[in-house]
Amino acid sequence: MTVLTRTRSHAAAFIGVALWLVTIAAQDVIPPASSRATTARLGLPGIDRGLRPDAEARRVRKATDLPARRATAGARYLPGSVIVKFRRGTPAATEAAIRTLVRGRATADLSYATFQIMALDQDADPEGVAQRLAAQPDVEYAQARYRVQPLFTPNDPLYSLQWNFPALDMERAWEINRGASSEVVVAVLDTGMAYRNISFDQSSIAQTIDNVFYPSLGTVHLTFAAAPELGSADRFVAPHDFIWDDATPVDMDGHGTHVAGTIAQLTNNSVGVAGMAFNVKLMPVKVIDGFWDAYFGSPFIGTDDTIARGIHYAVDAGAKLINMSIGRTGAPAPAVREAFNYAVSHGVFVAVAGGNEFLDGNPSGRFAELAPQIDGVVAVAATARDRARASYSSTGPYIELAAPGGDSTRSGVTGMIVQQTYDFDFTDTFVNGATGFRPPRFDMFEYIYYQGTSMAAAHTTGLAALLLQQGITKPAAIEAAMKAFATDLGAAGRDDQYGYGVINPRATLRGSGVVR
Amino acid sequence: MTVAAGTRCVGIVALLLVAVLAVPDQAAAQERRRPAASPPAPRPQTVVRAFGDLGMTFFTASDTFDAVLGSPMGVVFGGGAEVVLPQRLFFSGRVSHFQKSGERVFVLDDEVFPLDIDTTVSITPVEVTAGYRFHARGRNRNMIPYLGGGVGWHRYDETADFAETGDDVSKTFVGYHVLGGAEFRMGRTFGIGGEAQWTTIPDALGDEPGSASAAFDESDLGGISFRVRFIIGR
Repeated sequence: MTVLTRTRSHAAAFIGVALWLVTIAAQDVIPPASSRATTARLGLPGIDRGLRPDAEARRVRKATDLPARRATAGARYLPGSVIVKFRRGTPAATEAAIRTLVRGRATADLSYATFQIMALDQDADPEGVAQRLAAQPDVEYAQARYRVQPLFTPNDPLYSLQWNFPALDMERAWEINRGASSEVVVAVLDTGMAYRNISFDQSSIAQTIDNVFYPSLGTVHLTFAAAPELGSADRFVAPHDFIWDDATPVDMDGHGTHVAGTIAQLTNNSVGVAGMAFNVKLMPVKVIDGFWDAYFGSPFIGTDDTIARGIHYAVDAGAKLINMSIGRTGAPAPAVREAFNYAVSHGVFVAVAGGNEFLDGNPSGRFAELAPQIDGVVAVAATARDRARASYSSTGPYIELAAPGGDSTRSGVTGMIVQQTYDFDFTDTFVNGATGFRPPRFDMFEYIYYQGTSMAAAHTTGLAALLLQQGITKPAAIEAAMKAFATDLGAAGRDDQYGYGVINPRATLRGSGVVR
Repeated sequence: MTVAAGTRCVGIVALLLVAVLAVPDQAAAQERRRPAASPPAPRPQTVVRAFGDLGMTFFTASDTFDAVLGSPMGVVFGGGAEVVLPQRLFFSGRVSHFQKSGERVFVLDDEVFPLDIDTTVSITPVEVTAGYRFHARGRNRNMIPYLGGGVGWHRYDETADFAETGDDVSKTFVGYHVLGGAEFRMGRTFGIGGEAQWTTIPDALGDEPGSASAAFDESDLGGISFRVRFIIGR
């Protein structure tokens, strides 16, 4: 099982991409299952430690918060009036005569206005009247009072680091659909999610993982907290853990929390970063394990069966969209194929990461390669900040779409995707082997850069949520709409690198008219 | 309006109709009384007339219009002028207008997903027609059938919410039409007619991949129109 690549930045330089491989063969070295005892259902809230100190300095963007304007956003101009400017020296009598010509009426002067607002009948055509006025020699200019549409720029202070959203023209897309709604439930099948405050007492034993020996830490008090930027408890529905076989799918890795952030990070809340579909509800479904799950002896690890069960569970629990920023190479996956078919047949759309193995021989992603065979399941490649295919992004006939996944080799650390997840200084104490090995804390959060087709899939799921809210309710139609309006990159038409192209949220949300 | 007043109105209208319809018959009666040696009837003259009309258009691209505007048809009104030559040839110019609002959609396999984005389509054709007016004969001499055909320039505008530069459509397409109808003379200067017109505006739709017309593989903006004409003039 391949947990798609995650990369983090460090003080002097970017340390590298942490690629987590859990193979099917790893089942042979599953440590004995151990239990975990909940010691506190309520814990302290998570601590948001901000952006990693070595990342780009914060540049706070001016907030534009005009949520109440949605209802009138479509009107092109105000009826019943026009803007007109008479030439200097035009006698009042002439102005009055011109007003009479178009059945207009004078209005009170406005402050700071070098022009006048001329009132018209409500059923008058302001554009036509403006044309007639502009034709008068005593009129310098005249125009309808066109409505100005404010672009929705989230006021999250680190939004300026999220190149990926402007790259997708999300600010204009959010004008059409502002983050979907709580009626849309998105299941994130991943390493779990930092969705609640809870503590466990967890026993441990010494063991070797990936050929590295780790000593026993004894009984460890594990503290988990909800990621502050994922929202309050009522945002999460039907959580389930297929790794620990319980209903508490806390994230012991950080990957799932990061992916959930791209999909649905709290947005326009003046904190941290933004997400695509920031009003949806999230269903945390833990189907793959991280290092600590393995170390503490989870009864299951991420295999095809946990994936398939997770899909079935999410469908039955009411999810309408499933994000699978996971995959593997190797033998075919009929159990997952069946689960995909089950999802789509129940009206659930699935986005699958296309795979990060291009530089490792570009083997087929076994989950991703199912996507073209099932309408309503899409496989997503990753693009870099410069819109080129990310260097790691797998290619093949199964790639259907592309989305930002970041690529540090092309654009540096800030060319990756930043979202909130755990502060790895407190979770990844295992990276140096036994040196510095100590119990993790899962209540410290930072804004961290990841890259991978995991991130690309999450963008696609976010768009799917917006489309579902907008009215495209069938999985096959969501997929078809994304393909139809994708921005074609690479070879003309579908190709193995970008599929049908990079997702185009605004165009897809606007859909079709008669001619255009 | 009371019942009595309504009855009075209907009565007045009926009397007027009888009076109008009686005019040609009186003229015919006068002709019958005319002695054989009387001078020949005056030569037919070239006549210029104005008309207005109101009707329905059923679009050829029925699936597309049904998807976006909620109906494959719509009300069209118009008007114009025509010249009738002594040889019973006529030439007309007509301007009409169709406008209807709906919402943008996504179409997959003929299934339509409305997207809650308001859109308005308007079509303003300017058409010129040449045709022939047949002789009115026998008992139906007040009814004049005619046939014609011509060319039109169809201004097409499509606007939608959230549109920015380049999103809305404003194009003019050339189309061709044939029409036929019958005019009923209600008096010396007034007539009512019924008219049917078939219009083709080839290749106006369907060339933009993301459009509903492309999804339905419909390319003709024309359709069949049925309308009532009100003619002012001889």
